[in-house]
Parts: sequence; C-alpha cells; structure tokens
Amino acid sequence: MDFGLSDDQLLFGDALRGWLGENVPVARVRTVMESAAGHDRELVTGLAAQGATGILVPEVDGGLGLGLLDAAIAAYELGRAAAPFSFHSACVAAPLAISLSSDAAAKKRWLAAIAEGKELLSFAAVAPAVKAGKLRGNALFVPDAMVADAFVVVAGEGDARELLLLPRGTPGLHASELATVDETRRVGELAFDDVEIGAAERLAGTDAKKIDRVLDAARIALAADAFGASERVIEEAVTYAQTRKQFGRVISSYQAVKHMCAEAYAEIEPVRAFLWYAAFAWDGSYEDASRAASLLKAHATEAGTAAVTTAVQVFGGMGFTWECDAHIWFKRVGYDRQMFGGPVELRAAGASLGD
Amino acid sequence: MDLTYGPEYETFRREVRAFLEKHKGGAPSAGMRGAEADPELLEWQALLVDKGYAARTVPKDYGGYGADADLLKTIIIEEEFQKARVALGMESQGISMFVPTLLQFGSEEQKRRYVKPTILGRMIWCQGYSEPGSGSDLASLTTSAILDGDHFVVNGQKIWTSTAKEAQMMFALVRTEPEAKKHAGISYLLIDMKTPGIEVRPLKTMTGAASFNEVFFEDVRVPKENLVAKRGQGWEVGTTTLFHERNMLGRSHQTETMLLGCADVLRDTGAVKNPVYRDRFTRIEARVIAMRYHGLRLLTDGLKGRKSGGASLITKLNGCQLNHDICALAIDALHEHGVLRRGSKHVREEGLWQGQYMFTLGLIIGGGTAQIQKNIIAEHGLGMPREPKTVSSAS
Repeated sequence: MDFGLSDDQLLFGDALRGWLGENVPVARVRTVMESAAGHDRELVTGLAAQGATGILVPEVDGGLGLGLLDAAIAAYELGRAAAPFSFHSACVAAPLAISLSSDAAAKKRWLAAIAEGKELLSFAAVAPAVKAGKLRGNALFVPDAMVADAFVVVAGEGDARELLLLPRGTPGLHASELATVDETRRVGELAFDDVEIGAAERLAGTDAKKIDRVLDAARIALAADAFGASERVIEEAVTYAQTRKQFGRVISSYQAVKHMCAEAYAEIEPVRAFLWYAAFAWDGSYEDASRAASLLKAHATEAGTAAVTTAVQVFGGMGFTWECDAHIWFKRVGYDRQMFGGPVELRAAGASLGD
Repeated sequence: MDLTYGPEYETFRREVRAFLEKHKGGAPSAGMRGAEADPELLEWQALLVDKGYAARTVPKDYGGYGADADLLKTIIIEEEFQKARVALGMESQGISMFVPTLLQFGSEEQKRRYVKPTILGRMIWCQGYSEPGSGSDLASLTTSAILDGDHFVVNGQKIWTSTAKEAQMMFALVRTEPEAKKHAGISYLLIDMKTPGIEVRPLKTMTGAASFNEVFFEDVRVPKENLVAKRGQGWEVGTTTLFHERNMLGRSHQTETMLLGCADVLRDTGAVKNPVYRDRFTRIEARVIAMRYHGLRLLTDGLKGRKSGGASLITKLNGCQLNHDICALAIDALHEHGVLRRGSKHVREEGLWQGQYMFTLGLIIGGGTAQIQKNIIAEHGLGMPREPKTVSSAS
C-alpha cells in the first residue's frame, strides 16, 4: 500500500512550481491577460523545457511517455500559478487523441512537435457531423482558437463521433475570438465553411470509446487546475489576513475569518487524494475510471467555487478590485467548472445509483 | 502509487477470512457491537483477543495479543469483519481510549490491574472529562480532588458521561492543584463508581434515549494510587485520550456503510427516479469518495512515518458532517414516514434514520465541537493566530 506520489513525481512537481514561481509570477500572467492575443508562446517553449508538454506523448513518438497522474501534477501546478496556458487541451486532450489513434502519419507530424513546444494544438470537443465529405457549422469554446497551429475536432454525436485533425489554414476553416471571464485561457469559435474531409483530415483508428477516454482525461486535468487554483487562493487569503489589521488586530485572529478559511481548507484538501485516485484509475483503465473522473470534476470545481468565493471575501473590499489577484483564480475555477460538463451533468453521468 | 496490499498481507487476509468462515455461525452480528456485558459478546470478545483481532497491539504481559503495530493488518481485519457483517468485538471508551492512554502513561501496577479485564469487556469504563461549566474550554474544569492522607477527596460534577450506569470505573480529569495555572492544576484519576458519594443521573438526549448521564461527587474518597502519571500532568494524559477518541469518530468506513443504507432507502422509496434526489445523493457520494482516498493518503503517511500536517485535522469535521447529511437525505426520501420513530406503526427500519440524524448531530458537537475543530484547523493547519484572551478568561 502506497497511496501517494512517487519521489520522482514529487520532485517534478516541486521543480515545476519553482520554475513557475520564477518565470510566471502573477505580473506576467497579467501581462498576457492584457495582451491582444492572450497567449505567450515563450511560456509554451519554457514549459516544454521543463518536460511539461510531452508528459502524455509516448516515448517512441518523442515524448516522456508518462501517465495522466503526472499530467495532473503539472495541471495542478499550472492552476496554482494561474499560468496562461490551456494545458488540458494542448497537452492532455490533443496529444492523447492523436496517440490513442492508429494514425502513424499524424503521430509523426504532431506528437514530437507538441512535446517540444514547437506546435500548439487545440481540442474542440463538440462539432457537427461530417456529411457527404464536408464539415459545415461551427464549434464553440475552442481553446486557443486564434493561435493554435492545428485543431483536433470531435465531429458528430454519440457512438458516431469521430476525430478530425485540421491544421490552421485548412480551406473553409475560420477562427474568431469569444470574450470570456477567464482571460488566462482564451477560447474562440471555429466556423466550418464546407471544409473538405477526406482520409487526410481524419484521425484513423479512433472511436467513441477512445474519445470518451480523452474527455475524461481532460476533465481530470481541469479538476487538477481547479484544485491548484483553489488551494493557492486560500493560501493567498490566509497570508493577507495575517497582515490586514482591523479593530487593532490582524483579521486572521478573528474566528469569523479563521472558520471561513478552515471550512474552505477542509473542503478542498481531500480533493488532492481524490485527484490522485482518479488519475491513477484512468492510467490503469480501472472499471470506475470514468465515474471517478466525472465525480472528481464535479466535486473539485464545486469545492473550488466555495474556496474562491471565500477567498474574495477574506480580502474584503480589496477582493472586489481588479488590482487584487483573487479574481484571477476566481475566474480560473469558473472556467474549469463550466468546460467539459458542469457539476450537475457530470454527477448524472457518474451516478452509481441504479434504478 | 500502489493500491495493493502485497502478498504478505493477502496471506493475512486469507487467515482472517478462514477465521470468520469457521466462526460466522455463532458470532454476534455487527449491529450488536455494544459496550454492555452481554454473555455472548463477552465470549466472542475473549476469542477475538485470543486470536489477535481485538486488542491486537496490547502487550501479552497485560493480556493482549502483543502484535506489532501494523496499520494494514488492522485495516484488513476491519474490512473482513465488516464484509462478513460480524461484530469486531466490543467497542467502548475503555477499550479504545482508556487502554491506549494507560499503556502510555500508567504505572506497571495499574497496567497489570486494569488492562486485561478492560480489553476482555469485563471492566466497563466511563469518561469523566466535561463539566457543566467546562465544555469546549475543558481546562477550566473545577471538579476538585484534594489530598487527605492516602486519599483524594473528590467534589464536583461531570456531564455527558456515557455508560456511567454500567461502568465499574471512571477515568476522570480533576483539579488537584488549585494554586497552579489552569492546565497545570489538572490530574488524571481513576475512580471506582461504587465509592460512596457518587450519584449517577441519566441525561435524556434529544433522541429520547438516556445515552448520557450526569455524575455527581460529594466527598468521594479515591485511593491516591489511582492517580495516573504525576499530579498536574492530567492535561497531557487526558488530551492523548481525546486524540484516540477523535480517531474513533472520524473513520470513513462507517460513513460508506451509511451511504449504502441511504441508497437502499432511495431505491425502496422510488426517490431514485427523481433526478433531484439522484443529484443530492451523488454529490454526497463524491465527498465520501474524496474522504475515502484522503483516508488512504493519511494511512500512507502513517505507514511511512510522514507527518500529514493540516490534512490530518479535517477528518472529524468532514466525517461527522457527512454522516449527518446522509441521514438528512434518507429522511427526506422517506417523506412523511421520515418523522416516525421507533415503535410506531408503519415505521421504516425501526426509525433508524431519524435516530441517527439526531445522534450524528450530537457527534458534530461531541468530542470537540465543529467550531473547535475549525479553530484547530485554522491555528495548527493554516498557521492563523489564536483569538486573544479576554481579561476575564485569562487565568
């Protein structure tokens, strides 16, 4: 029995936290948020040097060939740092979709480039079905829509879903930006104007089951992000409460404030172990892996919502300002909660109750 | 990451299973796990102690099995007994709280005298800590024990004393050094409940049952050799016992059993078809799963001798709240039937859910209130300062 992270995993997490602390302080996050593109390619290159982008790329394809648990550690650290990067899409869903396929050409073309941080891929989870060799319609909430080099697109519904891989510049493919609350991870809309879909645009050897596995992995990554964000923001709130004085003493000495922080901590801390389990179960393709991913994301993002709401209140009036950093994590958790299924939908999907 | 127990432990598991298979027929069922000295339970308890399934780590010299502390074996025993729905011996404050404390702090003579009859269930103990004026602020307790020759003379009152009627003995915190500062004036004393001057009055709780008592002391003479550790050391000794109590109150397997029972209620009542009930149940289930793996994480920390920090402080708070929430859901699913109590016509499951709903609320308060738990989490887990003392309570 050893339910915990290995020494290697702990070292990797610590190193990444150190690197993010030095290279991606909140000031840099804010710079990217306020930039037009909302994207920082140097950050991707830097993360690649840290080994964070190639975690899920198999070794034979030029990656580290590690598991989702390792990716979850990275996602958690990125959430803590509020790093302006759609890790769940670029480094989890997209490379997994390609590596789970049997498409040798796509693997060769994209996987090593993802691991090296040379190409940025995006994952569009919902798009219309291909009809008569053409894709028509749109896909919403596509991460990095304006900057990604290629898009892995889930086309169709239910068991008929299939995976497409469309590089930027594909004729008929148009991207536009959506304005969302979380400016650390931009999303956009893809419009498909009769995009020709042939064998070259399809990821060979995929099916609905594999797609569900990719979606579960993305959910776990988003849950990890929400956990990291909520843990960090509670730490920040406690630190603030230790220095802010009212009525002649630090507000961290008031039980009203202490109990808010204790409740948030008690709610989010067990998410850590649940996250480890869900990622571990996914890696092992356990029978309850999909249920665990759904319930984890529902729980982590709801506990996260409570934590970020608490934190903003601990900061008081300052917490309501743009200047205070709390809103960055508040919005981060808001994004994590809404994407790839909200808590109610995921609980319905992951319910163990029979009839 | 490794969630298997390994071959050594699987062999051990097979031994436990074989034992249960052999004795299942005559064994008391899990529901019978009480503190009372029922003859059938006493016989079963003796067998369990002999085989090392109860009092497992209590040294042989004091009547135990003398095994090394091994968390995994303890868990395997719990798992297998639970699966077989067989009582894992007796559960009492004497066995789970007093014995570990006495083994740590007691004299050789005290250990020889008290441990064996206690683990065999023949000597029942009650705990004398809380007083009407000293609940969360336990260290303000005023029950006095003044040395008079070879005896301490005890005067005062204890409250929330479960099993005081059945108990032969009480382990109590009393003030022996009235001149010393608050915590330093307390001692840990063992009191024979048959001593003249002790009166036990049942305290009926909101559940309708008299599961607690008040105990009054009037010039009760207690031999001075009944002191555990030194005079004035009682706070340290007593809070160690409380730590054992909190461990007992926060186990996740009890919560998981309750959740399964709640799922049965949802199915039996048809509430399972209602998506609102399904969502509420699944929301609780996710929290229970989180606490399950949180427990495994703490276990791993324990096995590796690692400190868990703040993570170890949340088990009681979360576990008690979850138990209460599960009962509340079951009662809602029972609709009007949810108000029926034991003994009524049409009552479901003997009114268990209503009883548990109130009892679990009691547990949110007992053994350190939720509010005190939050103080502990904030102060020891998050490093926030204590509330400054007001002048009147600074003693």
